Amino acid sequence: MSIPAEQRQREFESEALVHLDALYGLALRLSGGDEPRAEDLVQEAVLKAYRAWDRFESGTNCRAWLMTILRNTFINQFRRQKARPVPVEFEQVAERPSSEALYEADPEGQIFDRIIDDQVIAAIDELPEEFRVAVVLSDLEGLSYQEVAELMGIPVGTVKSRLFRARKRLQERLYDYAVEMGYLR
Amino acid sequence: MSECGTQPPDGSRSGEPELTCEQSLARVYEYLDGELDTAEHDAVRRHLEKCRKCYPHFDFERLFLDYVHELGAGEESRPGLADRVRDMLAAEKS
Ligand SMILES: [Zn+2]
Repeated sequence: MSIPAEQRQREFESEALVHLDALYGLALRLSGGDEPRAEDLVQEAVLKAYRAWDRFESGTNCRAWLMTILRNTFINQFRRQKARPVPVEFEQVAERPSSEALYEADPEGQIFDRIIDDQVIAAIDELPEEFRVAVVLSDLEGLSYQEVAELMGIPVGTVKSRLFRARKRLQERLYDYAVEMGYLR
Repeated sequence: MSECGTQPPDGSRSGEPELTCEQSLARVYEYLDGELDTAEHDAVRRHLEKCRKCYPHFDFERLFLDYVHELGAGEESRPGLADRVRDMLAAEKS
């Protein structure tokens, strides 16, 4: 028996659309702060979820189910246009010795109590896509190396090296911010 | 099993190669992410128990990762998005 369309939409709205801000938050980080792209991603994911709503088991974790659909939607797009080479500029910059500067200037990590979250988010958004996606999936979403590797279609070793470079790059940016804000000299 | 690099003085555990500082630091993220197998994880932990140089470095990286994990993807709102999504669903034939 299929549920009448109206009831179906009401049910979906009350159970799924309450997670819209969480979906958009993840979409925004995956797309590097690109708002129109993030909205498209949310729309596409919500539509997929709506079409599959009959197959969703009520009582299970709706938020996790929706987030998975959104991640997969993003990854499908990402893998389709993956021909882009990794920007050389980042490769070189990531090697600069200042990646250890933050640790040397602030070994106790006091910066993490003082930095403004938006600055860190901006630094994540600015990472080249291949690196950003690894950081978002692993560090923000808590996926394992293996899960990230499977999603991105890359070897686990590549996940490791991307995370290493991306994290060092973030620390460089944090160091720059800390100096700008006068936390560090 | 061959041992390479300099070895810390504690050679009491026979058969278990000790990691150098360089080898430990190369594994910092895998260690903190819980991605090493038990033997390697233990080898790093043994090194950290007695290395004053690596321990603070690992501590710092742990603080960094904890900070980013806690930050999470978070929720963001976009003006009009909810309405546009509802319109889209209403237009979708079921
Ligand atoms: Zn050491």
